[in-house]
Amino acid sequence: MLVIGQAFTMITANFDLSSESGLGLTAMVAGLLLAAEENGGLGLEVSPAVAIAAMTVTGLAIGVINGFLITRLRMNNLIVTIAMLMILRGLVYIISPGATASFFPDGFKWLGSGPILKIPQEKGFLSIPASSVFIVLAFITAHIITRYTQFGRNMYAVGSNIVAAKDAGINADKIVRTVYVISGFCMAVAGLLAGGRLDSATPRVGAGMIFPVQAAAVVGGISLFGGRGTMLGAMGGYFLWSILDVGLPIMKVSPFWIETSRGLLLLFAVALDAYKVRRLRQRALEETLEQTEIGLTDKNILVE
Amino acid sequence: MNKVAIKTETVLQMKGISKAFPGVQALRQVDLTVLPGEIHGLVGKNGAGKTTLMAVLMGLQEPNEGTIQIDSTEYTSMNPTEALDAGIAYVPQHVAMMDSLTVAENILAGDLPKTKFGLVDWKKVNDEAQKRLDMLNLKLDVTKKVEGLEVAEQTMLAIAKALFGDAKLIILDEPTAPLSRAEINRLFAFVKSLKEKGASFIYISHHLEEVFEICDRVTVLRDGRVVGTENVKDIDIPKLIVMMVGEDVEDYSRESSCTDEVVFVLENLARRGYYEDINLEVKKGEVVGITGLQGCGSEQLGKGLFGLEYRGVGNVKIHGEEFIAKEPIDSFNQGLAYLPQDRYRYGLVGVRPVKENVTYPILDRLVRLINLVNRSEEKKIVDEYIEGLEIVTPNQDQPVRLLSGGNQQKVVFAKLATTRPAVLIIHEPTQGVDVRAKMDIFRIIDEMASQGVAIIVISSEIRELIGICDRILVMNNGRITEEFEKGDKATTPENILDAIEGGNNKHG
Amino acid sequence: MQLKEETTSMVKNNKNNDWIKLLLDNFIWIIVVAVFAFFSFQMPERFFTLPNFVNVLLHASVLGVLVIGQAIVLLTGNFDLSAEGVLSLTTILAMWLMAEPRTDAGGAQASGWMLHPFIVIPIMFMVGILSGWIIGMFITRLKMNGFIVTLAMQLVLRGIALIISEGQIMTGSPALFNWLGGTRIRGFPVSVGVTLLMYLVVNYLLNQSKFGRNLRAVGANRDAARASGFDPNKTITRAYMISGFLGAFAGWMLLGRLETSISSLGEGMTLETVAASVIGGVSLKGGLGSVGGAFAGVMLLSIIDNALNLMDVDPFWVQAVRGFIILLALLIEAQKFRYKPKVVHEKDERIAAVELESKA
Repeated sequence: MLVIGQAFTMITANFDLSSESGLGLTAMVAGLLLAAEENGGLGLEVSPAVAIAAMTVTGLAIGVINGFLITRLRMNNLIVTIAMLMILRGLVYIISPGATASFFPDGFKWLGSGPILKIPQEKGFLSIPASSVFIVLAFITAHIITRYTQFGRNMYAVGSNIVAAKDAGINADKIVRTVYVISGFCMAVAGLLAGGRLDSATPRVGAGMIFPVQAAAVVGGISLFGGRGTMLGAMGGYFLWSILDVGLPIMKVSPFWIETSRGLLLLFAVALDAYKVRRLRQRALEETLEQTEIGLTDKNILVE
Repeated sequence: MNKVAIKTETVLQMKGISKAFPGVQALRQVDLTVLPGEIHGLVGKNGAGKTTLMAVLMGLQEPNEGTIQIDSTEYTSMNPTEALDAGIAYVPQHVAMMDSLTVAENILAGDLPKTKFGLVDWKKVNDEAQKRLDMLNLKLDVTKKVEGLEVAEQTMLAIAKALFGDAKLIILDEPTAPLSRAEINRLFAFVKSLKEKGASFIYISHHLEEVFEICDRVTVLRDGRVVGTENVKDIDIPKLIVMMVGEDVEDYSRESSCTDEVVFVLENLARRGYYEDINLEVKKGEVVGITGLQGCGSEQLGKGLFGLEYRGVGNVKIHGEEFIAKEPIDSFNQGLAYLPQDRYRYGLVGVRPVKENVTYPILDRLVRLINLVNRSEEKKIVDEYIEGLEIVTPNQDQPVRLLSGGNQQKVVFAKLATTRPAVLIIHEPTQGVDVRAKMDIFRIIDEMASQGVAIIVISSEIRELIGICDRILVMNNGRITEEFEKGDKATTPENILDAIEGGNNKHG
Repeated sequence: MQLKEETTSMVKNNKNNDWIKLLLDNFIWIIVVAVFAFFSFQMPERFFTLPNFVNVLLHASVLGVLVIGQAIVLLTGNFDLSAEGVLSLTTILAMWLMAEPRTDAGGAQASGWMLHPFIVIPIMFMVGILSGWIIGMFITRLKMNGFIVTLAMQLVLRGIALIISEGQIMTGSPALFNWLGGTRIRGFPVSVGVTLLMYLVVNYLLNQSKFGRNLRAVGANRDAARASGFDPNKTITRAYMISGFLGAFAGWMLLGRLETSISSLGEGMTLETVAASVIGGVSLKGGLGSVGGAFAGVMLLSIIDNALNLMDVDPFWVQAVRGFIILLALLIEAQKFRYKPKVVHEKDERIAAVELESKA
């Protein structure tokens, strides 16, 4: 889910590195509101609907703040979101009692861990998790948004060449603010999924996720330079990542190797991305050189 | 703001436009008129004021005096949005497109056709884009990404985009520089067809034959003034050149310090796509000028020799020794120094002080034990140069970006001089230098020549070159096509400009 | 005649600017003193004591070493987010090579080689340098974004540290090794003295040496630096190698003090190093700043850290506070750039053209 949020901002050539903390925060907010006092919550035991609403508001707020800092105050998106990463993580620890908040009501957990279909089998049911279906739907929706709406196309325009986009009358700032809000929204949804799956919320939820999220997006074809890549591609990257996440442990690979391999994969993906974009820009120049009539004694087709 | 409605038959009327920048009067009382369906050429040397005039027209600069009338509305000042709304479009030499998106998307960006549900209808997008292109008779694959288009196609697309944006007047700024002859033909056919449909153009170019090929009228700017506006059929290139160059104030001239000893030899230098057949011998103390249109290859030659760019094939020798420089530091070590055209990017580190900038290349000489710089010796050397070149600065520690253009240039000269080069290549010595400092620069060049440095000056200021050079070479499309000797009767600005403009009509 | 007039008027113009600039540049030390005084008044018994000072300085010493590396890399216009990874890996590696194999259960298993510290310490350095070199290559040859590369590198390094240590702690580093981190001379830790010395030396070198000029030129204007005879690629790689070396050095220091290695060592320090540098006036764009200023940043952060700790503030509030401080530092830096002395140069036609092209 965070991958989707990341992809949105990356397409506009921006980064949002605060999403993992946002996830933690929204999950914690829900946890505190939902759990009974003996289970670590505030004892409010609100209904799932209220909790979800609170989470959503939190997520959106984060997005708004990020967007504001970056577009109105013109601060560097990398640094701002990293700072937010730290601040939000700190906030999570502050509002939580340090222990975990657990045992959430079923209604809340449904999306994260509940089944969407129960297919009767010989022994019991084969349940298809709602979360899997949801994720696929989410990606598809995101894809529809980015490919088939004016807003989505404007995102690509801004990421590709912000000057040209502005010339075409696109309000670049608004687009950037909106993608951050979307990212914030994704944080809330991710919190919902995580809370549902874990049936608890700890302050550490989501820590360290930011790297795999970035990597999955890049591996899925979303370029760091902006303006390139599709949600379907990102979904592919996400799946690849998940397979590695699940598959490697099954192959008895030590969890520590997995950490390392994540870093390596990110490195590889970024290198590939850099190479790809550079090649594209070079090719046009090379073509010109090949067609020229000047300097034919020089056999080298070099672009400095 | 400030608009007034007036009855008129012109698309554009600029009246009495004047614009001054600190230290320089860029435009003086300029009048320019463009008629509907006209392609109006705008010519003039570098620095004549063409760029500033267009900046004013586009709303990027406010004129100190004068009015701009577009159709029937008169403005005393404009901002870029108003200019756009009024129908002024600018197509720069390097078009700003969204490269990773398709042609169709670039055309319709911001307002894509949608289906009933509000989702983008890609089929309609492509169809609509194709329809618009067809209207202009422009054959492009709308589903292709812009980065995959040829440069000519990108330029045409940019023009098309401007028209779709309801532009009445399109400014074309040196559109043909990166194009081959075939592509130029294509572009011109396209522009002419648009003219038939009533679009108006301002065509800025240094290629005078092209101006004659495509323009209806042409305006000549010189030193910020309009020299004249003529119908293209009433005039010819030589007359145009005379208007561009004009008679002038007293020129600088110097005594030659040329000796007989050849120190710098270029043999059969060629670089794919930029220059070929470059053979040159420069003597000790000689000052050789190289001039030509933009894109003639002189710039790449200079950078290539210095090691900033790839040099190509062929031999270069300094004092008989083979000279190879893959990086600028190699060049310095072997005795060749280069003064770049863009000194803000290549010449100086703006935030660092004068003394650092001057000594960068020679730090090895000033270093004592473990890499520490000998401060007192450095101060001495820098002081010498500040005095010798008359650099105006409160002290050695002043960040160079705070100096005036002329003094910055002197700092670069100082830096190069410290490396005690045998060969010095200067690219546009007086660019961004005020009149007073120009004389100083000439003096510096003269001084260095008399000390035995072989100097090559790459410049577009013909009169300056005539004043300081022993020889002037003209480059055209990557070849040296003509040579002018100092003191020769044929060495006149008009002839040189003619040589620059003339030559082959082949591009690329 | 005219020359003289121009010069004196320029001097007058800039004199006022100079004062203000001086104030802004050293502003940070004023803040450090102010904050220190503030906390001293608030908690005289707990904060304003010698043992506490030592604590602050101890924390500052490790952070300080890392900050030197970060500042150097920042001066070239790049980021190094991998330093804590180097710290982690080198400490784990060192323990693995040096410690006695455990006979009891629990804890990580050492290699059993029990190498002498004199061998291990240089190995640590080499690992750090190698890491820096690899990063340098990625950034200069493959032209990748420094931010992501060092981020990924950090993951890889920590990952390797995890693999070796299997997530467990290892204790018992040899006394000889612990000299740097653990020894105190009359109560004053050697490590602090070493760090201070390093700062003085590095500061001096940066201002007085060719390498310092090199770094700053490359960071401020890479193209001009190249055209002035420097090799930006080599310079940038060297900067990263130095940062890697310092990461290992900090590891040596920290391990010596704690005598325990754990793969999560140094977590979160990276952001602190960036924050300290930025607070201390090192520009994120490169070319400007000094380690002296960065040191002020280190002191500030260490003091705040310590004080908040003493006030029993939730340790995770501290994270949030750090984030705020970074944002604040960025704002201050943006202000500094706004206040630029008047530039005295004429508009050039061609520059106008370039501006036109970028705006159009």
